[in-house]
Amino acid sequence: MTGPDAVTATPAVVASGTPAAAGDEESPRGLGASVPPADAEAKARGVFPYAADLWAEGLLWAAVLRSPHASARIVSVDTTAAAAMPGVRAVVTHADVPGAATHGRRVADRPVFAHDVVRHHGEPIAAIAADHPDTARLAAAAIAVEYEVLEPVTDPETAFEAPPLHPDGNLIRHIPLRCGDPEAVGEVIVEGLYRVGRQDPAPVGAEAGLAVPRPDGGVELYLASTDPHADRDLAAACFALEPDRVKVVVTGVPGAMADREDPGFPLPLGLLALRTGCPVKLVATREESFLGHAHRHPALLRYRHHADAEGRLVKVEAQLLLDAGAYADASSEALAAAVAFAAGPYVVPNVFVEGWAVRTNNPPSGHVRGEGAMQVCAAYEGQMDKLAARLGLDPAEIRMRNVLSTGDLLPTGQAVTCPAPVAELLTAVRDAELPPLPDAEDETEWLLPGGPEGAGEPGAVRRGVGYGIGMVHMLGAEGHDEVSTATVKVADGEATVICAAVETGQGFATLARQIVQEVLGVEEVAVVAADTDQPPAGPSARGRHTWVSGGAVERAAKMVRTQLLQPLAAQFGMSVELLAIADGKITSYDGVLSTTVAEALEGKELWATAQCRPHPTEHLDEYGHGDAFVGLAFAAVRAVVDVDIELGTVRVVEMAVAQDVGRALNPRQVAARIEAGVTQGVGMALMEDLRAPRGVVKRPTLTGYPLPTALDAPVVRIVKLVEERDVVAPFGAKAVSAVPVVASPAAVASAVRAATGRPVGRLPIRPQAAVAKPAGA
Amino acid sequence: MSTYARQTGRTVTLPASLDEAVAALAAMPAAVPVAGGTDLMAAVNSGLLRPAGLVGLGRISEIRGWSYADGHALLGAGLTHARMGRPDFAALIPALAAAARAAGPPQIRNAGTLGGNIVTAAPTGDALPVLAALEATVVLAGPDGSREVPVSHLLTGMDPLRPGELLAFVRAPLLHAPQTFLKATARTGPGRATASVALVLDPARRGVRCAVGAVAPMPLRPLEAEAWVAGLIDWDGDRTLEAEACTAFGEYVAMACIPDPADHADPANPAAGELPPAVAHLRRTVAALARRALGRALS
Ligand SMILES: Cc1cc2nc3c(=O)[nH]c(=O)nc-3n(C[C@H](O)[C@H](O)[C@H](O)COP(=O)(O)OP(=O)(O)OC[C@H]3O[C@@H](n4cnc5c(N)ncnc54)[C@H](O)[C@@H]3O)c2cc1C
Repeated sequence: MTGPDAVTATPAVVASGTPAAAGDEESPRGLGASVPPADAEAKARGVFPYAADLWAEGLLWAAVLRSPHASARIVSVDTTAAAAMPGVRAVVTHADVPGAATHGRRVADRPVFAHDVVRHHGEPIAAIAADHPDTARLAAAAIAVEYEVLEPVTDPETAFEAPPLHPDGNLIRHIPLRCGDPEAVGEVIVEGLYRVGRQDPAPVGAEAGLAVPRPDGGVELYLASTDPHADRDLAAACFALEPDRVKVVVTGVPGAMADREDPGFPLPLGLLALRTGCPVKLVATREESFLGHAHRHPALLRYRHHADAEGRLVKVEAQLLLDAGAYADASSEALAAAVAFAAGPYVVPNVFVEGWAVRTNNPPSGHVRGEGAMQVCAAYEGQMDKLAARLGLDPAEIRMRNVLSTGDLLPTGQAVTCPAPVAELLTAVRDAELPPLPDAEDETEWLLPGGPEGAGEPGAVRRGVGYGIGMVHMLGAEGHDEVSTATVKVADGEATVICAAVETGQGFATLARQIVQEVLGVEEVAVVAADTDQPPAGPSARGRHTWVSGGAVERAAKMVRTQLLQPLAAQFGMSVELLAIADGKITSYDGVLSTTVAEALEGKELWATAQCRPHPTEHLDEYGHGDAFVGLAFAAVRAVVDVDIELGTVRVVEMAVAQDVGRALNPRQVAARIEAGVTQGVGMALMEDLRAPRGVVKRPTLTGYPLPTALDAPVVRIVKLVEERDVVAPFGAKAVSAVPVVASPAAVASAVRAATGRPVGRLPIRPQAAVAKPAGA
Repeated sequence: MSTYARQTGRTVTLPASLDEAVAALAAMPAAVPVAGGTDLMAAVNSGLLRPAGLVGLGRISEIRGWSYADGHALLGAGLTHARMGRPDFAALIPALAAAARAAGPPQIRNAGTLGGNIVTAAPTGDALPVLAALEATVVLAGPDGSREVPVSHLLTGMDPLRPGELLAFVRAPLLHAPQTFLKATARTGPGRATASVALVLDPARRGVRCAVGAVAPMPLRPLEAEAWVAGLIDWDGDRTLEAEACTAFGEYVAMACIPDPADHADPANPAAGELPPAVAHLRRTVAALARRALGRALS
């Protein structure tokens, strides 16, 4: 048997403390500085090890057989031919799952392998381990499955009436939200129907992993997991093992803006390793990746807005329908966010929302950055544009008349206690200088919609300006225990952080280094790779780690600081507060004491472990009421677009962003996160939609699913970061990644409306929705 | 023991001349020619294609350039998009150069070739409508010598590539007049055509030739629209047309390539005669592209 020693595991964070500029007196350190990530150079040079680079002596290769149908009854599965192929070492199906037959991050409703029915295209049915990846794939193809193909349920509106697709039924959650007077009416009423397509998180690196059996009968899973403890518990339940016999080791994460790993492959991987006694590796193809992992919920949103003659909102009525796909996954949370934020960051006295998440045979939906909040933002901002047009008001002005601020109530009844500088954000983007119009003299300098070699014609191009204001909640909602634990160690003047918060590229490892530098004054800080031998830190999502894991690191560092300084303070008869640490030196306020951290340690190691747990939240009740969220973050985006109104091609010229960040702990990292979020939002607005006619994904490739390229990515201009500390958040900082994703698609749609005069109710915006009659025609 | 060995049985030959390449294919009929590999290797890597052997065409210098013969250019099949996009080539066959510059991102243009584009024969192949408008022919080299067929016969499958044959050259007329290629895509960055239009003027024959790409399995020629507009142009004068005539040409082309489902007009169901919105948009796109292409060629 091959033990774990044979594995060349790749640590998630190769943070040897300091990047290339180490020792440089000028190198930034501490909170508020633009400390570069320790792995930036390795990533830029292409030598950073990702999950797909894992290797173990004698490893086997896995392949997963997936359903070609969206809905079918499995009549039989015959693996004999596959098992008999030379080089094949094991074949596993549902019959080989020793433990729980179903799993799920939130609701255990998803089978490890489909056996009686398949509920979506790409659902795993069997897995193979063989001595070569091609052999494994060929063997998977040689498994004979007889299907009785069923009529798929692909229109979420029909899911209510359709026969149940699952023993749990087709209605995953219904939230009726009632706030205020249902009879209230406004002087103007506008209605709208909005549709949002299926965005794929499309991580740069597809799923990959390695499972290594342990001599004690357990197994180690080397994965680019974003929530290692949850993945471990899920795997242990399916393998019928004690959780401590399964270890998840986090390897380099090649991009994550969602729950990263599709559990449909680490589970087969682990089963195959346990079955064969050999390490087993799997590298998903892009096609499998598109089919397996969770997508953004497609949504159908019906709205009616009532306003008075001045444009002040009187009532918002909405029906929100989220397509969950075949399994529950994060749909319940997505729906809670969609319902709670259905009216947007506006003050509305009367709000009535019906929200549903339903099961269909479409590709699975789950947690993708800005879940729920993004879809409704596209709709409520569309409604604000409609009201503005109806009342003859400027789109920014009507928004300004309704903005939410601290102290206002959400329709859920929760009071907004955190900073909510919405008016300030909107003012900043509204008043920012507009990008210059292209030079009519020199058309060659003008990047037209359609690109440099495209068919664009300057005479057909119209420019439009639009707005989107988004809000998201931070951390898990509705009573989730959002705890995180971190350990800080200091020895020889160097510090180490041990925390299972996964560095997904979001910058947690850099932040942890900055925190320890700030508190302990040591320059060299290593952040250890995450694994499940460490205490849980929870998922890398919703800006959690900046808050709870950053908070835990700070507390642990402060405890170490006290341990370090207490003996000195006692010796010199002063309180710890009168001692300062900076640049590895400890000095007293009066300069009497001056020593180094290394000397003060006297060869000792100091350790401290601490937890951070935000204040508890409540479940939304039967009226959609409750203090469901720990904190909120806001952003305003002004989009400037050029539209070729004959071809309907759109180019986003500039996105001006103002964001409520609480405190910019690492300004460069904040800017990078905003740029990434805006670009993802532009993708949602203009091109990203995983089409699945009749439930079957037609072109699960990066040719069939276009993403924004450098030519599509707009200039992102951060016009303002509002740094109003959130007193309940560690360091006063708010999460920054999700809210630009939420506001950007709405802003682009608003700008296209302005350029074309068309309603633009569907995202992504299709060219036929952006064609217009030339003025005067 | 590993089954790995089974997959390494591929042979790769790298002939230095066309004759050697034809001989290599004859010696191993199961082998597949590969030029830039931008189409082929995607199929191999995704496991769709498992060729028993490869004959690499990258070292055959005689097909990587071009020569002239009686008013025509003889273009090597191994010309890359990047090479065709350069100004010296653009002076010869401007529309083909424009198509080459629009074909994919730079990495693809550096490797992808004219021959590969033709043999792949994808509806979205950008060189194809240009070659159709030019009425180009292809020179095929095989074990029994070479033969020449119109590119349209190859693309329609009327006269396909025979086993053991290689595409050696493309013969395209040198027209010494403006040409345009316009491509509509779904994004500003590089992308496949949703529709494209190639248009060439042939002053010697007083002709306008146009082909529409990506809307059908192969490029479509709107012959009536071509003849109609050629009749309006004052070939001996300044060759300009009123804007209305360009617009009418665009619509003529679009109607020809994306006709109404009129025959099925059903009085009981008036919507039956209407195009679905996406198709109607495609027709508008073709009309705008054809109008712009003509306008630019005549300006
Ligand atoms: C990311 C990406 C973007 C792309 N974008 C575009 C685009 O915008 N527009 C476009 O038109 N294309 C595009 N393509 C497709 C491709 O690049 C072109 O079709 C290219 O011209 C193919 O040439 P190649 O030399 O790479 O062909 P290869 O992949 O080498 O070969 C393709 C086929 O032709 C055969 N073949 C090649 N040369 C010969 C020959 N001389 N004789 C006989 N058979 C031959 C091969 O056997 C194979 O079957 C794109 C491809 C990619 C991967």
